[in-house]
Amino acid sequence: MMQGMMGAFQELDATVAAIEELKHKKIGQISVFTPTPRHELEHAVHAPQSPVRRYTLIGALSGMVFGYWIAVWASEYWPLVVGGKAIATWIPYTIFGFEVMVLVGALSTVAGMFIHARIPRLTLTVGYDARFSHGDYGIWVECAPDKLKDAEAILRHHGAVEVRGDR
Amino acid sequence: MATIAQPSHDGPRRPNIASANVQLPAVKDYEQVDDEILATLVPTKKWFALLALAVCFLMVGIASWMYQIHEGLGVAGYNPPVMWGVYIITFVFWVGIGHAGTLISAILYLFRAGFRTTIYRCAEAMTVFAVMTAGLFPIIHIGRPWKFFWLIPYPNWRLLWPNFKSPLVWDVFAISTYLTISTTFLFIGLIPDIATLRDRCVNPVRKQILAMLSFGWRNSEAEWRHFVRAYLFLAAFSTPLVLSVHSVVSFDFAMALTPGWHTTIFPPYFVAGAIFSGIGMVFTIIIPIRKYFKLQHYVTLNHLDAAAKLALFTSMVVGCAYIVEFFIAWYGGVQAEQDYFWNRVFGQWWWAAWIMLTCNMILPLSLFSQKLRRNPSWLWILSIFINIGMWFERFVIVVPSLSHEFEPWQWTTYSPTWVDYGILLGSFGWFFMWFLLFIKQFPVLAISEIKEIIPPKMKGKGPRGGH
Repeated sequence: MMQGMMGAFQELDATVAAIEELKHKKIGQISVFTPTPRHELEHAVHAPQSPVRRYTLIGALSGMVFGYWIAVWASEYWPLVVGGKAIATWIPYTIFGFEVMVLVGALSTVAGMFIHARIPRLTLTVGYDARFSHGDYGIWVECAPDKLKDAEAILRHHGAVEVRGDR
Repeated sequence: MATIAQPSHDGPRRPNIASANVQLPAVKDYEQVDDEILATLVPTKKWFALLALAVCFLMVGIASWMYQIHEGLGVAGYNPPVMWGVYIITFVFWVGIGHAGTLISAILYLFRAGFRTTIYRCAEAMTVFAVMTAGLFPIIHIGRPWKFFWLIPYPNWRLLWPNFKSPLVWDVFAISTYLTISTTFLFIGLIPDIATLRDRCVNPVRKQILAMLSFGWRNSEAEWRHFVRAYLFLAAFSTPLVLSVHSVVSFDFAMALTPGWHTTIFPPYFVAGAIFSGIGMVFTIIIPIRKYFKLQHYVTLNHLDAAAKLALFTSMVVGCAYIVEFFIAWYGGVQAEQDYFWNRVFGQWWWAAWIMLTCNMILPLSLFSQKLRRNPSWLWILSIFINIGMWFERFVIVVPSLSHEFEPWQWTTYSPTWVDYGILLGSFGWFFMWFLLFIKQFPVLAISEIKEIIPPKMKGKGPRGGH
């Protein structure tokens, strides 16, 4: 059964050093908490690129198709016949194509963010501490029970102000 | 993301301060950011007094609207063929106000203009409430507000669909998309700050509400990674949206053959005017906020200076558009156009045109002076003139054209009634009521983004830069 160890840090470089050592020694799964996004942490974690952009692309294309389609379909379904004018006109319908592209593309982006960031979340889960939204950095290491002591030693070695075990 | 840099003094900097490494030398650490910004959430007597005033204005507006619904549109100042009046003018005015928020939050974000960081939350909230206000006016204007949903395309038992070639239907799509995206953008940006609020809240009921609103945000690196990417894409979507929305609003006019309206310059002219008026309203709001909440070390003179340069630039674009309109009327050789523009400036509507020109073209030239750009009192006074000038710009676009069309028998005048003025006043009450409620529920400055520009604590030699 996996258990965890949480370390709270006040300094960014200490946090980065702790993450690097934990990763190097392959202690376990690491989650990092930070009050604000930092590239230093992103690089230390070696996180893959966010796939949110795929949701954006698919949403935007679907929205654009729907925007054009609704305007063209409704014009054909309920034709307003004016001499010399086409029933469905592509140029003004670009407004609908564009607006619905933006609408669906943006909402899909948010949906993608929610899915991959795993929110909404009903509980804050183990490892989180209120100070991580304030000013401190946190590392939550989830590992096998026999590696807990190693994790604790690394966190303390790099200057964690608090280290605590959690299940 | 923002670069970490060494702090420096809040003095004038050259050649340009609108760069990514804007600094807040008086802000030392993350704890100070939390403490000072969250302190603005405590309600005060002055806040209650302002809220009561806004609600009073809103009541006047509601009463006027109820009277109009009971008596019919005849109680408004419409005088055929001037069938667009204060309501359409105020609609365009508020849509315009709503543009600066997205400009500041999205466009300046993409351009990495650092001065946006401390003012964008206010501007975004202003955008949402301004578009909410604008959206009311077409509904008020149609006279039978309960029929407004006929403009929305949905399957119905009447088997009717709106006319997709009508600029009014374009408006419905543009404004509703803009409201949705602006609200989403504001709320997504608020999530980490709501989590900060949640973690510091002691009231269990409020804590529960904030926990729900923050969606269980934990500040994990994985959450931030997806958040930053999503925020970037939202900004990328919002940028062309800003340009499209007021272009579409300008099509309401430009698609008609009416003198003064039927011109291709309208979309860029409207967009520039919208951004100009929005920045004016940002000054109207942010300057009292920074003074009242003692946030001068967050919204520094450097930030105001940079925003004032933007106001000056857009003022000159708008001024150029005014001049080009006259040139086109002269160069086009259409008698009705030439007569209309003469009537606008030297005839029947000279007073409105000169208010517009003075407030939007002449007074903003003062911003060439760095001393005045760095004078918050002058910026606030100027912002009031800009707001007035931009309302009159829309008056000058709407009323003189309709009152001076092609045939002399159509020429007439227009006088708003107390109902028009009451609803206009009510719109300001509605807008400020929402804004005042917002600033006491959510941080008025973006906590997490401000923390990005504060050097983090380091165990080693000192602050180290990001990318």
